[in-house]
Amino acid sequence: MSGPGFENLKALIVEDNAHMRSLLRALLNSLGVKDISEASNGQMAIELLRERKSDLVLTDLAMKPMDGLELTRYIRNNDHSPNPFVPIIMISGHTEKYRVEAARDAGVTEFLAKPITAHDLFARVAEIVERPRAFVRCAGYFGPDRRRRQNDDYPGPWRRKDDYQITEAR
Amino acid sequence: MPNNSKPKVQLIAPDSYPQMLSKPRAARALHTLRAPETAVKAQVAMEAAMPAMRAAVLQYVEEMERAADDMTRLFEAAHEIRGFAETAGMVTTGRIAEVLCRYMDDIARFGRQLDTTIVALHVTAIARAARAEDDNVRTGQAVAAELAALVAKRLSEQS
Repeated sequence: MSGPGFENLKALIVEDNAHMRSLLRALLNSLGVKDISEASNGQMAIELLRERKSDLVLTDLAMKPMDGLELTRYIRNNDHSPNPFVPIIMISGHTEKYRVEAARDAGVTEFLAKPITAHDLFARVAEIVERPRAFVRCAGYFGPDRRRRQNDDYPGPWRRKDDYQITEAR
Repeated sequence: MPNNSKPKVQLIAPDSYPQMLSKPRAARALHTLRAPETAVKAQVAMEAAMPAMRAAVLQYVEEMERAADDMTRLFEAAHEIRGFAETAGMVTTGRIAEVLCRYMDDIARFGRQLDTTIVALHVTAIARAARAEDDNVRTGQAVAAELAALVAKRLSEQS
């Protein structure tokens, strides 16, 4: 029986296309997620985030008046953000490399290219559940660690060894 | 020599910030994500959404055709088609829209001259594929491949 594990999860879908919102809602429902709110742009999403807690955000990239990149930057960096650590999956048809890099640099957790499949969406959710990433705070960036690959055989030199400080969340 | 300067990078380990799910729930959630029953439910959800998505693709095709010389409107409609069509099972339609969007995006990004004939060829091919009973036919795939080759050639000529 599907459902256990996600029954208390609160999700937020931010997408300007009603058909895509409906499809994403149906896919989350098939995981057992019941508490889902929807916004059609970044500005509406911020209002919703202030009103209710969200454990997972699925957002489109291109929306007006506020797009998914601005929304992500708000969530990660704004002093009024209710949860700067919330996982953000950006779903977009804009799959050009520079746009994906812009999404990564804004602080998204996962990027999912349209056309979407249930398999791909669930794989991104599984990645968040199974391998939560460390967060990085440095000049000009706050968000999930952007380095995905770890080379255990790397012999050094560890040039930034004394730059690091593992710390508690704020 | 001790390093007394303020750290430049702060790493916050996953255990020290609130996670999406607690550990016991995460284990159950992973089971749910990988369960065959979940895949079946998702497939049913996708299939239920398909008629509405196909209708939406056809609406965007009309919007794209109406846009004529308004390239901003045309791009927006083509972008919606590329996002939707393959999910709605309209594979060739989606692939041609993908090529058109990449072409228009590259042209805008590098400040080059848009070839309206290339745009018109794509619009016609997208409309034909979308309105065909089965858009995933060999001729449609061949047209998609030829248009992609044409775009690649034209972009390389301009670079």
